[in-house]
Amino acid sequence: MSSKEDLKREASAVRKSCCFFCHQNCGVLAYVKDGKVLAIEGDPEHPVSRGGLCTRGNIALQHLNHPARINVPLKRVGARGSGQWERVSWDQALDEIAARLVSLKEEYGAETVATAGGTQRANDWARRRFMNLFGSPNGFHNAHLCWIPTFMIETAIYGWCPFEIDLANSRLIVLWGHNPGASGMPEMRGIFDLKQNGLKVIVIDPRYTESASKADLWLPLRPGSDVALALAWLNVIIWEGLYDQTFIENCCIGFEELAEHVRQYTPEWAAPLTWLDPELIRKGARMYAANKPGNIQWGVSIDQSGRSAGAGIHARALLRAVTGNLDAPGSDLLCGPSPDFITDEEMEANEWLPEEQKAKQIGSDRYKLTTWPGYGRIAAITKEVWGKAPTAEWMCEAHPPSVFRAILTEKPYPVKALIVLATNPINSYGRTDLVLEALRKVDFLVTMEYWMTPTAMLSDYIFPAASPLERPTITTTYGCSDTLIASERAIQPMFERRTDYELWRGLGLRMGQEEMWPWENLEEANYYRIYPLGYDDVGSYDEFVEKHRFHFPEREYYKYGRVGFATPSRRIELVSSTLRELGYPAMPTYAAPVENEIDDPDLARKFPLVLTSGSGFMPFHHSEHFQIKELRFLKHEPYVDINPETAKDLGISMGDWVWIETRRGRIKQKANLTQAVHPKVVVTQRGWWYPEREAAEPELGGCTESNTNVLTDVSDEACDPLGGSWANRGLLCRVYRVEQSEADGR
Amino acid sequence: MARFVMIMDTRRCIGCHSCTVACKVNNELPVDMIYNPVFTHGPNGVFPHVSMTYYPLICMHCENPPCVGCCPSGASQQEADGIVWVDQNTCIGCKACIQACPYRARHENPKTGTVQKCDFCKERVREGLEPFCVETCHQRARIFGDLDDPESEVSQMVNSMHTLQLLPEIGTDPQVYYIVTPGGQG
Repeated sequence: MSSKEDLKREASAVRKSCCFFCHQNCGVLAYVKDGKVLAIEGDPEHPVSRGGLCTRGNIALQHLNHPARINVPLKRVGARGSGQWERVSWDQALDEIAARLVSLKEEYGAETVATAGGTQRANDWARRRFMNLFGSPNGFHNAHLCWIPTFMIETAIYGWCPFEIDLANSRLIVLWGHNPGASGMPEMRGIFDLKQNGLKVIVIDPRYTESASKADLWLPLRPGSDVALALAWLNVIIWEGLYDQTFIENCCIGFEELAEHVRQYTPEWAAPLTWLDPELIRKGARMYAANKPGNIQWGVSIDQSGRSAGAGIHARALLRAVTGNLDAPGSDLLCGPSPDFITDEEMEANEWLPEEQKAKQIGSDRYKLTTWPGYGRIAAITKEVWGKAPTAEWMCEAHPPSVFRAILTEKPYPVKALIVLATNPINSYGRTDLVLEALRKVDFLVTMEYWMTPTAMLSDYIFPAASPLERPTITTTYGCSDTLIASERAIQPMFERRTDYELWRGLGLRMGQEEMWPWENLEEANYYRIYPLGYDDVGSYDEFVEKHRFHFPEREYYKYGRVGFATPSRRIELVSSTLRELGYPAMPTYAAPVENEIDDPDLARKFPLVLTSGSGFMPFHHSEHFQIKELRFLKHEPYVDINPETAKDLGISMGDWVWIETRRGRIKQKANLTQAVHPKVVVTQRGWWYPEREAAEPELGGCTESNTNVLTDVSDEACDPLGGSWANRGLLCRVYRVEQSEADGR
Repeated sequence: MARFVMIMDTRRCIGCHSCTVACKVNNELPVDMIYNPVFTHGPNGVFPHVSMTYYPLICMHCENPPCVGCCPSGASQQEADGIVWVDQNTCIGCKACIQACPYRARHENPKTGTVQKCDFCKERVREGLEPFCVETCHQRARIFGDLDDPESEVSQMVNSMHTLQLLPEIGTDPQVYYIVTPGGQG
């Protein structure tokens, strides 16, 4: 057996690749020879990860060489979901799919073709480019649940999303529904380094997380009540005089109106909604306002709150404005889009999508902020001020539950084809029964995947996706950062795997889009994108990676002094004219969680516990990696957190299989008795399915058994009117033991 | 002469198990063999007044290793630089060392019948590299180095901070040092 050091010596080249199992894209050095990767390790020179790799980063080779990987294009031969496939060539599959999409377009219009993504795990400018040229506005991701509503609300009120945090100069960070201890390893390291210099940490989370265990202050609020807490913080900061008067006078408009508006939202008002003591609410608000400069790091939780998401995001965003924690050293920075390289948005060909097609985007009549009406308005302003717009892919998408409903009801019009790439909607999208029914019904389903996921099992064609080590990757925070990190392929894809770029280009070439796809591969496209950086010593993308690896422009504070805020008034709008114009409240107004004990005590008697779901946990990412035994041994089965006191009342012991049930359905997970949660709160793990089960109907990899999305609510009444978020957090549920007879059956 | 030691900074460990997986895949260990588990201690207390600490474990590479003297074949041995390891060619699989180790750091490989354990990645550290579990740790919760080198990070930490050894009372003098603060707060 050769040791890893021997393998490294044997390699003929070391390639600067990256991990692709979440969006941090930690640096990976790949030791290669003859088109094979012999060994990998963390890249100590990577500017973000600095040599670290998490559990997932460590299994890149197990992923690359896993026997269960899909390696060739497959075409369904039996009934849908029967698990019978024939191998076909890429050309045959692309020819047949292109012909089918064209004929569907002729019969129903281009909008009948939709595409689903998950998180940022593909080159999605290429997806958007294809869809725009084809003429359909109906691409979507889990965008509405993850950052995108935050991005759009913050851009509406202060002209960009201040996602770059200047932690090195900060005195305090608020981790609001965010647990970098399980989901952001490089970020957590930064926090630890700076804690030694006195950085204070506030964690707002219903669960005592890894990050909470290291915090100076933990606020364990009721799941889904973030909006009440944020409003109460605004009340405290404004009415105790803790705001930044100079910043407000120089940069903001509408302060008096906001002050009057939040007067009602006292800590005493928020206490019964958040289950937090009013003094604890005050303590947190004072700590944030007094320890300047400070950061509020984005966390996914509010984005996943459904109906109250938009108001919560809006209130949280205003906290930065009234304290002056924007674009100053140590605060949250408004960097804007890159003027230096070609952004994702500039690659998307959005100008090619006709206005009448934009108007057909599903959900745009209702969820205006994250669809063409809101995006179009906001992008026009950012183009005036910054010269560029946010990425349309992600920021401007069809509303996923509405698309699944359109497949079933043909309203507002028939959706006949769905192309699924880098997601497994059965486990990742809300209301599993709806998604399953839609995928079973849709006329034409194409998937690109690493694995035979439950969604792939139902597909008509499956394309084999290139692994992280088999693709070049540009990292630019969903196309919206002014920084860029570039990574190269370690090897050309093995077997017949290809990147998603080749799928979209292959379809485009078959539909008369030749002139729009001049780049034969991603390296050529990436070189085109970095060319304007002007490096004289670089003649290719790979050479840029080898010689420079990243582009970090010099940090410019107070950029608004030069370019202004990208809002209609060119000021921070504490009373938002853009939101008002779209028909939304111009200031954040309290909205209760979709299901709660105050508004619906009858429901709370039947479902007495509060469920939260969707947070990240090691070693898995979303619905991925359950196949990999070097990870699965750490968490072989799904666990639900429940307080020991509650478990005792329910006759539940540690490790018992329990049912978790909402009005919409029930799932099984194992009980983890822990003081990390309030006696009335339970926390389910997300994503679970069982690749070791049958990969065909009716089992479909056990995709509904422990899948927390069975419990979520995607009805229009449950969704946030601004950004379309559906409800993953703060739902009412009950928990009871799985009886022995039922347990034996599994 | 070098004296290799490891420091576990529990103020920085978040229980992500990256070290566990890095060790497993790079040393090609069977799935059920774990050289370096991470134990979660807590949450202790009653909600919301709780604390939690993660303890990364590993072979303690004791100064006085009970697993060496008990080995009848001489396979279990201690190097001059302190590294305790098992020569797979001479181990007869009697498992006396498994019994002797108070830290449960030794494991029988059912395929080979021999006993395996962490060797601080000795091939790597002698080339100046860090053990896999140290290199992979984003949080720098594991710090490795030469205690005999007064300039090394480990010797400066051990000599200037309050550290703990596990089971100091049994006289093994473990060479893995823990930085622990009350309540797990950093």
